Amino acid sequence: MQMARSIFTIFITLTAIAAYAQKKATINGTVKDAATGESLIGASITLQELSAVGTATNNYGFYSLAVTEGEYTLLFTCVGYKTVTQKVSLHKNEVINISLSPKNSLQEVVVRSTRFSNDNVVSPQMGVEKLNMTQINQVPVLLGERDILKTITLMPGIKSAGEGNTGFYVRGGGSDQNLILLDGAPIYNASHLLGFFSTFNSDAIKDVSIYKGGMPAEYGGRLSSVLDVKMNDGNDKDFTVQGGIGLIASRIKVEGPIVKDKGSFMVSARRTYIDLFLKAIPDSSINGSSIYFYDINAKANYQFDDKNAIYISGYLGKDVLGLKNVFGTNWGNSAGTIRFTHLFGSRLFSNTSLIYSNYNYMVESFQNNDGFKATSKITDANLKEDLQYSIANNHIIKFGFNILHHDIAPGDITTTQKSAYNNKHVEQRYGYETAAYLSDEWKAGDHLTILYGVRLSGMFLLGPGTFKTFNSDGAATSSITYGSGTVVRRYFNPEPRFSASYTINDDNSLKASYSRNTQNIHLLSNSTSSTPVDLYVMSSKNIKPEIADQVSTGYFKKFDDNNYEFSAEVYYKWLQNQIDYKDGAQLLVNQDVESQLTYGTGRAYGIELFLKKKYGRFTGWIGYTLSRTERRFDAINNGAYYPARQDRTHDGSVVGIYQLSKRWTFSGTFIYGTGNAVTYPTGKYNVGGLTTFSYSKRNNYRMPSSNRLDIGATLEGKEHKRYHSSWTFSVYNVYAHRDPYSISFRDSKTDPNMTEAVETSIFATLIPSVTWDFKF
Amino acid sequence: MKTPLFYLMLLPLMLVISACDKVIDVQLVNDSDKLVIEGNITNVSGTQTIKLNTNVAFTNTNTYPPVTGAQVKVNDQYGNVYTFQESSPGIYTIPTMAGISGGVYKLHVTIKGKTYDAGSTMPAQVALDNVRAFKDNFSTDDNKRKITVYYHDPKGVVNQYNFLLYVNGVQVKRVFANNDDFTDGNKVTFDLAQDDISIYAGDKVTVEMQSVDKTIYTYWFTLMQQGYKGPIGGVTPSNPPNNITPETLGYFSAHTTQIKTITVN
Repeated sequence: MQMARSIFTIFITLTAIAAYAQKKATINGTVKDAATGESLIGASITLQELSAVGTATNNYGFYSLAVTEGEYTLLFTCVGYKTVTQKVSLHKNEVINISLSPKNSLQEVVVRSTRFSNDNVVSPQMGVEKLNMTQINQVPVLLGERDILKTITLMPGIKSAGEGNTGFYVRGGGSDQNLILLDGAPIYNASHLLGFFSTFNSDAIKDVSIYKGGMPAEYGGRLSSVLDVKMNDGNDKDFTVQGGIGLIASRIKVEGPIVKDKGSFMVSARRTYIDLFLKAIPDSSINGSSIYFYDINAKANYQFDDKNAIYISGYLGKDVLGLKNVFGTNWGNSAGTIRFTHLFGSRLFSNTSLIYSNYNYMVESFQNNDGFKATSKITDANLKEDLQYSIANNHIIKFGFNILHHDIAPGDITTTQKSAYNNKHVEQRYGYETAAYLSDEWKAGDHLTILYGVRLSGMFLLGPGTFKTFNSDGAATSSITYGSGTVVRRYFNPEPRFSASYTINDDNSLKASYSRNTQNIHLLSNSTSSTPVDLYVMSSKNIKPEIADQVSTGYFKKFDDNNYEFSAEVYYKWLQNQIDYKDGAQLLVNQDVESQLTYGTGRAYGIELFLKKKYGRFTGWIGYTLSRTERRFDAINNGAYYPARQDRTHDGSVVGIYQLSKRWTFSGTFIYGTGNAVTYPTGKYNVGGLTTFSYSKRNNYRMPSSNRLDIGATLEGKEHKRYHSSWTFSVYNVYAHRDPYSISFRDSKTDPNMTEAVETSIFATLIPSVTWDFKF
Repeated sequence: MKTPLFYLMLLPLMLVISACDKVIDVQLVNDSDKLVIEGNITNVSGTQTIKLNTNVAFTNTNTYPPVTGAQVKVNDQYGNVYTFQESSPGIYTIPTMAGISGGVYKLHVTIKGKTYDAGSTMPAQVALDNVRAFKDNFSTDDNKRKITVYYHDPKGVVNQYNFLLYVNGVQVKRVFANNDDFTDGNKVTFDLAQDDISIYAGDKVTVEMQSVDKTIYTYWFTLMQQGYKGPIGGVTPSNPPNNITPETLGYFSAHTTQIKTITVN
């Protein structure tokens, strides 16, 4: 509370200063794509005459710039678009809306060394990666399915959880420590088909940013990262249909204006047809099986006037897996958001969001006496208010609040009369996660920008229900029943956020940041891979909020006329209240699941190097991370630090995209990483007639290192007036490297009197694919 | 939802993927010569056996050096002391003894002055009603069979079970542990699903059903969880928690046992 009070005092003082400032006028407006009407996020607005003045468009394409009255030339720039200049004679507040035309990268590029106020060197924001959708679409992929979750793992500091797994680890954190937002709605399980593909259809996506460190105060709720995915608004000028037919899945997108230049809609859908191949197989147990997924993204927006707009987004996805007459399982996310944006005056931008998100799964068994149906779900309802206020042009104040309600049904089993199983119901759990934040981005002079703020996060666990406390042996030490709406436990955590950048000159800067993050919703899963049956619990009488403190510092540079960008970031993270599981933990449909947990701490540190070439025929990047992440639990490894499973010492990727001609583009990615930490046996013995392995230290070994090369090529179709098509070819794992998925130990098949180690791989061959894309 | 059954459902995927298996060489540190105690007390009158040996390095053959010259004693809550004699190196036996349900048995082992203690309570016997073979739905081979056991779980009592499966005299290298968390009071059918030995018509299949106490169930269940490989399942391996103090490999189990043999049709 002390921190909040002092920040509030600063805020009042600044407002007072602003009131006495020289006569200023405000220029505001939105920047859009000239061809589709999509609002552009992160477009830069600078003044030719005042090099120190500039701003960037926010998530809705809105910008606001306060300048002393006078004559100016405004420059509007955005990566991938032609710069637009606009003269303005500023004597009162002006509204200037601009459309930028996409730039053909083969055209003569004259890049000015303008100081884009949003670029990597100048902005105080560090620990963030923004993905360019064009590049995502050019990077070669598995089976022709573009996947933003796979592409972000090509960035330093972000590690893939392995093949067949869309989980990812950011700066040593667990895979549940990432908040994945689709237009503001949390997506709990971002994977299809058990992790081979993600739930994001890149046709429907406009912008992807991931914050790894120095998280701005408007984001919170998870320790390691926020992956903010924004859907396309829809073309507000023309009606278009676009899509693609691939080897295992096809997509189609329809978009168009609701009212030309004022409102638009977009609907994008995707489905696999692997199951159609299965139907062709004569074996009755296979052709009666089902395995498919589909997802639908839809969005509509309407701009009432320059000051008011409404956006509605929705997502629905489902995975189905089943074996005829034996079992069936399905799981899926659904999410929806309604947002109202309103501009108060010319400088206070408000965004009010109502968000709904649901994740559920179901497993059903049809075997005669074993019939049962198990279900689980988590439903979130969220009200968010975000405000952005520009004062005197060197302060951007952001403040707001967030109230999120969780409704978790941890597990239910319903059975038939004759079934061997009993009905079982694990009590539903309810709670509120609340937050209020305030931050200021302050341009404190020509060289220094400081972003400081605080996020006050709260957690309220509510009844009805019976809540037990467990000791470290797993025995219940108390059991109390609460009525509906009673607060069972509350937690309050202030999270200070601070980052600063010091520009040495136009091309070089140093940055530093400190942030604290807390997490009140935890994924319980003792499996080493992500499964759809993972269980979510809130902080409780037994589980304390997880806390992470991260400091980072870095050096940022651009050169060759802003064609190249280089950064080196070093971070150190302290983790508290981390969760692990007792041996033999039974997590599924267990009312007393909290008795199966142990708690400890962790630390993670590393250095990330990144070099990117942005313009020209050849573009791409190289990323490299050297890092370590460790955990310490009293009950494990005798309380000594041990490497976390996701600790991978070296992790690097090289991505290259080469535009050979107007029609041909080639791309390639190469990844290399040393292995995850694993526990291997250090001896063996025999119990119960079976060879059993003995272990000493946890995670004392490393998997073999992995490496892989993927290549791709896109052939753009000939120019047609009303219609465009392209062919994309890709080869995944070009030199058929056997990336080890897991290593297990067993009695030798050839000599049962000896034991052997066995390496299992998923994709040990090269996998080619072809996709045909079209657009009307 | 029963964890083993869930993993069973994803067995087809696991099988498809484990087709890409390769035997490799791994350099492992050697932490051997650790004591292993394997003690079993059953309710069937006859020789009861407690084995003492040590673990060996991964690269050794699967023969475990016996620990000789130890004093091995078991006592129950009635004050009876059963002294085990070393009948062959590392194997300590007592010729005619039977445990009884409800008996609280304490094992006391002394080796060169160091003592090890363990305790186990023998639960009530739950009858193995039937063992049957069915077509294995998860196999594309129509001739393959799976084994299903039938028993009636007593209502209101916490029960834990451990099963051993033998095909033509060879033990199937899998652990089958089960409790009544989801099946209390019901007529239970439990599939002994495994991919170790293929079973066909004409095979002689023997099933041993044990009623075990909670600590021993956790021991076998942990080993079973660690045995799942592939994309689904697989927990971080560790030495399973047992009832022996000070911390030692192995277990001491007082359990009821019942055996049924069938010929697969």
